[in-house]
Amino acid sequence: MAEWGRRAAVLVCGALAVALTSCEGVFSGIYDNDSDSGEQRLKADEIYIDAADWDYWYYVDLDSLLTLRSSGDSAALYRALRTHDARPIPRDSVEAVPADSAGIYTYWFDIFGKGLSVYERRSYRPTASQAEPPHWTFAVHRDNVRTNGCAVYETSYTSLSQLPDSSAAFRDAQFQADTWSERDVWTDRTAMLSCLMGSEGIKINQVLSSWLTVNIPPIPPTFTYNGHVFILRLPDGRCAALRLKSYMDSAGTKCKLTIEYRFPY
Amino acid sequence: MLPRPFSLKLCALSLALMTSAVAAAQQKGDSALVMPELRQVVVTGTRSPKPLLKTPVLTQVISQEDIRLSDATDIRELLTQVLPGVEFTYAQNQQVHLNFSGFGGQSVLLLVDGERLAGETMDDVDFSRLSTLNIDHIEIVKGASSALYGSNAAGGVINIITKEIVKPLGVTIAARLGRHDSQRYSARLETADSHLGNTFSLLRSAEDNYSLSSDAEAKARVVSTVFGDKTWHFDDRLSYRLSPSLRLSGRAGYFFRQTERSRETPERYRDFNAGLRTVWTVDRKSSLEAAWSFDQYDKSSYLRQQGLDVRSYSDVQNAVRLLYNRNIGADVLTAGADFLYDYLLNTKLSPARRSDKSADAFAQYDMRINDLWEIVAALRYDYYPDRDMNRLTPKVSLRHTPLPHLNVRFGYGMGFRAPTLKEMYYNFDMMGIWTIEGNPRLRAETSHNFNLSMEYTRGRYSFLLNGYCNSVRNKITSGNPYYASADELTPRLPYVNIRRFFVSGIEASARARWSRRLSARLSYAYVHEQTMRSRDGEALASPYLPSRRHSLTGHIDWSRDFSPRYGLDIALDGRLLSSMDNKEYINYYDISQGMTSVHYPAYTMWKLFVCNRFSKHLRLNLTLDNLLNYRPRYYYLNSPLTDGTNVMIGLELAL
Repeated sequence: MAEWGRRAAVLVCGALAVALTSCEGVFSGIYDNDSDSGEQRLKADEIYIDAADWDYWYYVDLDSLLTLRSSGDSAALYRALRTHDARPIPRDSVEAVPADSAGIYTYWFDIFGKGLSVYERRSYRPTASQAEPPHWTFAVHRDNVRTNGCAVYETSYTSLSQLPDSSAAFRDAQFQADTWSERDVWTDRTAMLSCLMGSEGIKINQVLSSWLTVNIPPIPPTFTYNGHVFILRLPDGRCAALRLKSYMDSAGTKCKLTIEYRFPY
Repeated sequence: MLPRPFSLKLCALSLALMTSAVAAAQQKGDSALVMPELRQVVVTGTRSPKPLLKTPVLTQVISQEDIRLSDATDIRELLTQVLPGVEFTYAQNQQVHLNFSGFGGQSVLLLVDGERLAGETMDDVDFSRLSTLNIDHIEIVKGASSALYGSNAAGGVINIITKEIVKPLGVTIAARLGRHDSQRYSARLETADSHLGNTFSLLRSAEDNYSLSSDAEAKARVVSTVFGDKTWHFDDRLSYRLSPSLRLSGRAGYFFRQTERSRETPERYRDFNAGLRTVWTVDRKSSLEAAWSFDQYDKSSYLRQQGLDVRSYSDVQNAVRLLYNRNIGADVLTAGADFLYDYLLNTKLSPARRSDKSADAFAQYDMRINDLWEIVAALRYDYYPDRDMNRLTPKVSLRHTPLPHLNVRFGYGMGFRAPTLKEMYYNFDMMGIWTIEGNPRLRAETSHNFNLSMEYTRGRYSFLLNGYCNSVRNKITSGNPYYASADELTPRLPYVNIRRFFVSGIEASARARWSRRLSARLSYAYVHEQTMRSRDGEALASPYLPSRRHSLTGHIDWSRDFSPRYGLDIALDGRLLSSMDNKEYINYYDISQGMTSVHYPAYTMWKLFVCNRFSKHLRLNLTLDNLLNYRPRYYYLNSPLTDGTNVMIGLELAL
C-alpha cells in the first residue's frame, strides 16, 4: 500500500507541475473553441451566417453558390458561404397601408409570466416593405427564416447522409409555404422592459423557422433546435436539403448559424 | 423591521435566559467539559491555532459528527440545516445565492484550508463543488475579517478544514438513493506510513429535473422546474514528512457538474485545482508556512448534436502565500503576505480576456495579558497595481473572562471588497432585455463591523449570545436600469456603489450533551438588513432577496450501542424561518409599473436521520428530508424548492 501511496504522490506531483505551467489555465484542449473558431472549421457544404443582429435580414442565394461551386473558384465559394447580402429592416414610418402589410407591429407578451403564448396586440406603425436582393433563396433574421416563394417540409432525418437518394421521395409530403407573421421577427426592443416587442410584419416560413426555437420563460431565454433536415422546394420545382448544424459561434454567441446544405437535391 | 418593543423584549429574554443558565450551572458546580466539539482547535479567527473556547475571535464550528449526522451532500445543504440566519435563494435562472446574515456571496469569503475559490455565478461560488466527503470540520467567523483575509471578507469567513490522514489504511465506500432518481456514490481511500500519507476520494451525485406547481394568480414569478445536477468530484491529497520539522503537502482535484436546462445544450461546469504547502517548524516557538494554490473554474455549453463543448468562462487563480507565527511568551505574533494573479476569460466581458493582480502584507499580535484578558490586533495592507487601488484594514478582538466559564468577546473589524473584473468590465446584452454594464469607476466597498458576545460553557451546557452590526459604505450592487440616450434600443443595467447599507443582528444558541448518548442544540438568529437604496434614495431592484428576520434551527441526536455488533444513531434537525413581506417590482423588468409587497410565508422543515451500525464496518442509513411534507403554495424565488418528503436510503462500508 505504501507503493500505492508513492504512485499517488507521483500523480499529484504531475498534476501540480501541469498547473504550475499556466497562469491562464490548463486543459483548454478539452474545449472546442480554443484552437479554432467555428467559422474556420466551416466545410464546403456549410453556410455560416452571423445573424445575431436584430436589425438585418441576411440573404442566401443557392443558385449563386451552385454557380461558384461549378466554376471551381474555391476561394470565391468560401467567401460566399460566409458573406451574405444584408438588408436592414425598415424603420421609418410611411402612410397607412392595408392590413397584413409591411410595418412594425407591437405586441405585449407575458414574457416574465406564462411566456410567449400569451400576447396582445397593442399598435401598428406602417413602414416601407422589406428590401430584397434580385436573386435569393432564403433569408435569416436571428431565429426567423423566410423563403423566396419556396415551400418547406421537415423530415425526421438528423443528417444529410441519411436522406433518400432523390427528393422525389418527398413528392407527396406536405410542404408549407411562407405565412404572414407580425409577432415573430422581433426587431424593436425599446419597450421590452414593458414586455412590448416590436415585430416586423412579413411573411416567414414557420416550418423552416422551427429549426431554432427561443424559449421564454425561463429568463434568460434558452434556445432549442431539433437538428432535423428540412427539404426546401423552390418555385421551379428543384429541391434543396438544409440542416441547422449549430446556432452558436465558438465564443458561445447565439444566432450565429452554421447550416449544412445540399443543392440541388 | 421588527417593532422596537419586540426587539427590546427579545434582548431582555435572551439575557434572562443567559443569566438563569449561568446561575443554574453555577449551582450544579463545575464538571469536566463533556462536549468534544468545544475542544476543537481553530485557526480561522487568528490564522494561528487556538482552542475554540480561548480564541478572542468568536468562532462557530460545525464538527465532523455534525456533518455525519446531517447526511448532507454539499456545503449548501449542510449550512442551511445547521446555521440559523443562512438561506440559499435563487437569482434569475436558479443560480444559487447565499444570504449569510445579511451578506451575499461576494461579501462572505469561502475558503478551503485557507485557500480562496475561483469562479462565480451571480456573485456566488459554485457551492455544489464543496462536497462534505472530505470535510473534517467547518470554522465560521462572522463579521469583517479583511484584516486577515483581504477583499470579500466583509461579512465573514467560512473556512472548510479538510480531513487529516489518520489511518495506515482506510477504505470507505458509500451509496445513497432517493427521490427524483437522486443518487450519491462515494469512495475514499487513505493510506499512510511513517513519512508519506495519501488520501483519494471520489464522489458521484445525480438528480433529475423535476416539476413544481404553484396555485393560480401568483404575484411574482414562480419556479416551475427544479434543475437537477450530475456531478463528479475527484480529490487526491498527500502529505510527506521530510523531517520532524518539515512537512510538505500537495493536492490535486477535479470537479464536473452538468445541468440540463435545455436538453440540446446542457451547461457544464468544471474545476481543476492543485496546491502545495510546506510547514517548517523553525523551533519550538516559531513556524513558517509557504503555500501555492491553483484553482480554475470553467463554464461551457455542450452542443449535444454537434458534440461540441463550447467554453464561455474561465477564472484562473494562482496564489502564493507566506505565513509566519512566533510565540513570544504567552503571546503570538503572526505575519504574512499573499500574492494573487487572477485571469478571467468571459465572453460577456469587453474585451473577453482580463487579468488582475493583488498583493498584501499583514501582521497580527495576539497578546495574552493574563488568564482573564486577551487581545488580538491586526493590520493589513492590500494593493492592486493594475487599478492603483490600495487599502489598509485594521481589526481588534478582545476576550475577557470575568467569571469562570464565561467569555465576553468584543470585536471591531474593517471590511473591504475590491470590485471584481466582472463588475468593472461586464458588457452583456441579455437577449435584448438589457445590457448589463460594468463600471470601471466603481470604488472599493468598505465596512465597519462591531460585535459583542457572551459565551458560557460549563460541563454539559454551553450558551452563546452574540450581537453585531455592520455599516457598509459604497456597497457594490446592480443599480436600476436606464437608457443612456433616447436613441438606445436596449436599456443598461449598471453596477453602482450605494452610499450606505446597514446590517445588524442577534444570535443566541444553547448546546447540551447530557451523556455520550444524547445531545441537543438550539440556535436562533435575528437579522435586520436595510433596504438598498441608490444615492438618490430610490429603492434598488436587487436581484437578490433579503434575509428573513427570524430563523431558528434545532438539533437533537441520540445514540446507543445495543451490542458490540449493533448500534443506532438517530438525529432530528429542524429549522423554522419567519415570514417576510418583500417590496418587489410588480414586474422587475418594467419598473414603471411600481412596486408591490410579495408575501413569503413562514415555514418549517425537518429532517430525520437514522443510522444502523452493524459492527464497526457497515452502516445502513435512512433519511427522511422534509419530514412534515411541507410544500409552498407558490414557489417564488425565495421559497424552498421542495415538492414534499424525500426518503433516502444509504449504505456505508468502512474497512
